[in-house]
Amino acid sequence: MIKFAGALLVLFAGTMIGYLQAARFAARPRQIRQLMHALQRLETEIQYGQTPLPEAIARLAAVVLPPVSMLFSDISKELVKSAGITVRECWERTLREGWSTTAMKKPEQEAMLRLGSTLGGSGREDQIKHIKLAMFQLQAEETSARDEQQRYEKMSRSLGVLGAALVVILML
Amino acid sequence: MLTLSLPDLFVQPLRGILERLPAHAGATLEEIRIRENRPLEIGYAGRHSFVQKDGTLTGDYRTAYAPGRDECRALLERVTNHSLYAVEEELRRGYVTVAGGHRIGLAGRTVLDHGAVAHLKDIAGFNVRIARARVGCAAAVLPGILDLRAGTIQHTLIVSPPQQGKTTLLRDLVRSISSGEWHHPAASGWGGRKVGVVDERSEIAASEAGVPTFDLGPRCDVLDACPKAEGIMMMVRSLSPEVVAVDEIGRPEDADALNEALHAGVRVLATAHAVGLADVFARPVLARLAAEGVFGAYVVLSRSGGKVQHRIVTAEEAAREAAGSSSGRTGSTPRDASHLGNAPSVQVEPALQASAQVTIKARSKPAIRSPAAVPAERDSP
Repeated sequence: MIKFAGALLVLFAGTMIGYLQAARFAARPRQIRQLMHALQRLETEIQYGQTPLPEAIARLAAVVLPPVSMLFSDISKELVKSAGITVRECWERTLREGWSTTAMKKPEQEAMLRLGSTLGGSGREDQIKHIKLAMFQLQAEETSARDEQQRYEKMSRSLGVLGAALVVILML
Repeated sequence: MLTLSLPDLFVQPLRGILERLPAHAGATLEEIRIRENRPLEIGYAGRHSFVQKDGTLTGDYRTAYAPGRDECRALLERVTNHSLYAVEEELRRGYVTVAGGHRIGLAGRTVLDHGAVAHLKDIAGFNVRIARARVGCAAAVLPGILDLRAGTIQHTLIVSPPQQGKTTLLRDLVRSISSGEWHHPAASGWGGRKVGVVDERSEIAASEAGVPTFDLGPRCDVLDACPKAEGIMMMVRSLSPEVVAVDEIGRPEDADALNEALHAGVRVLATAHAVGLADVFARPVLARLAAEGVFGAYVVLSRSGGKVQHRIVTAEEAAREAAGSSSGRTGSTPRDASHLGNAPSVQVEPALQASAQVTIKARSKPAIRSPAAVPAERDSP
């Protein structure tokens, strides 16, 4: 009886791990897409609104869903609150600290960090170019993320169940 | 004192240094000059000094504190609110006005677009000009520029070299006029006048989100960051001012707009850069306005020691003075230099001078039809 309960628990845990992994694979392209939407909004704010950066970034937080929106609202709050911090420092720190809460990986982080080091520091045309460049990179990452999703999402789900089953069989 | 007037523009360690300035310098501070990797300098009470790391003043620039690249970058970000792209228009003109009306002049490398300055990059020099309201500084000037018959002020031009307090005086004149503090017995019953301020550089009113942060009296409207010529026309058309105040006129379109306002029955209060009246008659646009007899009074500011002195000159006197002086001083002496006196200098071109002599005439001004002015006129002697 106890053996049976243990087997069930292992099976359940394995399945859950598999599903979680699959969910991460599914979330990555979605979150990259959200980042791209946010950057598109930022482009508009800079091009037509000439909105100051702290306010523009705060507005970005409103157009995307958590956890991506948290990144933007943190940056904006930090910029308004602490005197003397530069956008580059603030952007970099927040992205490095908060990145693990998202499903995104290193390459998209690199693209965003590179954008952060130029943001607010030049004229409108130049800013738009940098944002376009970052969006271009994100687009490439999104494609590869979709690719991975298709390949590994189902696999990791079945791998979780089957792995758990293997452990159960070995234990029995 | 300083921390109140410059909330969070400066970052550590620059901020700490400026907070430790001696009290007398902090109270009379006019300029803070920050140049990347070069000595920190301040201007106060008409003098200048370098600042050491502990906030003490020194005349020796070698021992002064030199702000580094990071500090300048952070300062630039604070000045532009992290958004250079949003102040492109200001960069093109070379200065940014921040909250509180402080104007920050910038030096850097210009970026050209079709031969015209598009904006600045690699900004490494800042001149923070502290804006101060000196309530009451117009008390001595205002009675001298009143037009007692019309119950308002004369068309007035305030003239001085940079940094003598033109804008400060203008600000207080606006406040006095709109709140009706005329400082003249005959004008005691006039009440305030409607004043329109065209604040192209956001220095007069230092508006934040449309609301002036300096006290400009109860009857004052401000067009913030508006080009002067257009602003004057907008004012006249829609805000029905009795007096229009503008800062630093000098372009041809300004003169046209002023003329337009004049004929709409509006009194004009303007400032201009010039060392003295001779300079006014030497600057093309100002000379034209003066020759047309536009201004009824000139206020010439000068500074000796730490005190600003003013001299009020009527149009007739001004014309005589300008015609009489054969040599105008070209170029001003630095105001912190000892007084050099009138060095002989380049002659004003004879042709220009002759034409100025012939055409200057004072013209009668249109009376302002203001209901409040009518009884006041009767009362006045």
